Amino acid sequence: MFILDTLLIGSLRFVLDKVVAAAEAEMNDDSALRDQLLEAQMRLELGEISEDEFAAIERDVLAAIREIKRPRQGALTMSPDDRITGVDIESFEEPEAPRVLRRQRRRR
Amino acid sequence: MKASKSQKRLVFFAGKGGVGKTTCSSAYALSRQSGRVLVVSTDPAHSLGDALGARLSSKPQRVARRVDAVELDAPRAFARWLSEHRRPLADVIEHGTWLDREDVDALLDLSIPGVDELVGIIEISRLVARGGRRESEGRRRGGLGGGGREARGGHAYDLIVVDTAPTGHTLRLLAAPETVAAVAEVLDALQEPHRIIRDRLARVGRADASDRLIALLAAQARDTAALLRDPASTAFHWVTVPEDLASAEAADGIRALDAGGMRVSAIVVNRVLPDSGPCPLCDPRRADQQRVIADLRRGLGRGRDLSIVPASVDEPRGVRALASLAQHHAAAAVAQAFRPANGRASSLEGLRYGHLRTRQASDQFGNIAQSASLLFFGGKGGVGKTTVAAATALWLAQRDPQRRVLLLSTDPAHSLGDVFQAQVGDIAHTVPHGPGNLVVRELDAARALAVRRTAFEAALDEIASAFGAGAVAASGGASELMTLAPPGIDELFGVLSVVEARADFDVIVVDTAPTGHALRLLEMPDAARDWMQVLLRVLLKYKTLVRPGQLAAELVELSKSIRALQALLRDPAQTHFIVVTRAAEVPRRETVRLLAQLRRLRLATPALVVNALTIAPGRCRWCRATAAAERRELDALRRVCARRCAMIDTPLVAPPPRGVRQLNEWAARWLQPKAPTSTPSSSRRRVRA
Repeated sequence: MFILDTLLIGSLRFVLDKVVAAAEAEMNDDSALRDQLLEAQMRLELGEISEDEFAAIERDVLAAIREIKRPRQGALTMSPDDRITGVDIESFEEPEAPRVLRRQRRRR
Repeated sequence: MKASKSQKRLVFFAGKGGVGKTTCSSAYALSRQSGRVLVVSTDPAHSLGDALGARLSSKPQRVARRVDAVELDAPRAFARWLSEHRRPLADVIEHGTWLDREDVDALLDLSIPGVDELVGIIEISRLVARGGRRESEGRRRGGLGGGGREARGGHAYDLIVVDTAPTGHTLRLLAAPETVAAVAEVLDALQEPHRIIRDRLARVGRADASDRLIALLAAQARDTAALLRDPASTAFHWVTVPEDLASAEAADGIRALDAGGMRVSAIVVNRVLPDSGPCPLCDPRRADQQRVIADLRRGLGRGRDLSIVPASVDEPRGVRALASLAQHHAAAAVAQAFRPANGRASSLEGLRYGHLRTRQASDQFGNIAQSASLLFFGGKGGVGKTTVAAATALWLAQRDPQRRVLLLSTDPAHSLGDVFQAQVGDIAHTVPHGPGNLVVRELDAARALAVRRTAFEAALDEIASAFGAGAVAASGGASELMTLAPPGIDELFGVLSVVEARADFDVIVVDTAPTGHALRLLEMPDAARDWMQVLLRVLLKYKTLVRPGQLAAELVELSKSIRALQALLRDPAQTHFIVVTRAAEVPRRETVRLLAQLRRLRLATPALVVNALTIAPGRCRWCRATAAAERRELDALRRVCARRCAMIDTPLVAPPPRGVRQLNEWAARWLQPKAPTSTPSSSRRRVRA
């Protein structure tokens, strides 16, 4: 049972890890967006898209980047302690999950 | 300069622009008593046909008994070579990268900077090799040029006389074998993986067409490099005129050739003024010339033949005149040189008229110079581009101390330093006694390349990995190319420097290389944009394999700047190309062609400067004959200009103006001599002729 538990918890942790990482990347990493903008610039130089099309893409991408920046800036206005005590997940019976999340947060 | 009996197979005539390389090389060829001779012009702005009085092309043409002449057309010769070798070459690139045929084709269709030098040197070595192998085997194997039926027929030549481009680009030409060798090395590295697969897996241990092409290029590069350094078969003659600028360039050029293992065996001092009795204009010139000749003899003469060719009022033109020039030496030719052409004597009325014109035109020229933010000075070598550009830049800076003026020389054989009598280098500086808002720079492309070497190597690495040829970047060939300063580099950096300087200066005055390479410079933005487009397209196509990173971002930025430069070049309100010429037949013919080509490139050419006119001639026969000849040429030039551009004359002074004070004094004689007035900038908007 113990082995099974460990396995179960271990893989659960792995999956959670991945989900959180992917979500974070999507939420916080703007490098994909920057690539998108660079690509649009390249296409503009090649004449594949017009100035107007480029302007539209640029607007969307910049808006998306702003979206990413906003929650981060919001978090900065709060005290870091608040965030940590806000880990309501500790109320979970399972002691493993919070550790996962805590680790993620430290990495941030 | 009379051809001596020797077993030389290749003789180069090198020197500053406009010193008479073409005249001397054709005279040398025509004076040969035996054997078949070919005169080859490698200057993209050919004047061999003008000198020989024949219409020449890229196929050898008979001009005299035993003498043929040819003007290389490098871009066409390269296109022909490429069509012959396209398949094996494309195979190599396809083998060594993940590019497909479409990408490779786009790459191969790009125009190559420096193609004149690369093609020129390979073509020369091919012609020499053919001469060595004699007629029957002389088929054009792997050669770049020829092509015509006549060339195919395989005339073998006993001697090839090369009429080269002005100094800077001749030095690039002579270093081109090293570039070809490095290219062969890069191709070899690209081919290597394919070779391994073929030999190990398919067990076909046989060289294919690509292997043969690489071997051919490497062999041609090796043979040519050896041929140039073999004093038994190759000779270098340096042509100069007895003036400080030209002799300074001779010293630099001869030193550079020496360093490359090529020895100059003869110096020809051309256009030495004959003795023509007392004259206030000619006497100081003659004294100055004697001093320069004495210096040359002392500094460079040891172990070299030094021959003197007297000046003649009309440049020797046509086979007969050139052949007789070679027969005459020094004193013998003096009497001949004097005869005023057509027996017409000069009249003072005409001269006064010329002077009046100058006053009117000078206002016009001043307005043209002031209204531009990018001002090119170009023309045939030796017409005085640098002196006129320097005087104009000084005048512009002094007139409006608020404007920041950059005077940039893009000719690899610089003379700005000599004109200002100061040390001028790759880093822009003010000049002694000059205004604070004027800085001058002599572009040193090799140094600029060395400074940015790390950045360029990183870019090359990125390109190689984007092409799926990471291993090649690490090979010797690629880094070899970076150290070589390959042909075309001067034009590339010329354009980049103008792009960079735009932010810091209100006016950029560019002193260009002589005609052929000035045109290459102006074509460079288009060529560079084509290259960037192909690179960007490849980066996008394979973006899933290699994420477009720093390189892509830089290419986008550069592409934008060059697009802006292209627009600027074609804006007649902002960019002016001032053609400088002399009132003589050969420069006039070149000027006509240059003006036509500039119009084709859609550049505004609002003014023509006819430099160094004998405006106030002395009393001697020489001065009067020269002034008369110049007056006829001025009329012809006026017809060339018609109503399309303003024509301005500048007076000859002896010795030529050097240093800020003399330049100012000289400019005051032809450039709005009045003190600067407080014209509001709006009112000095362009006034077009």
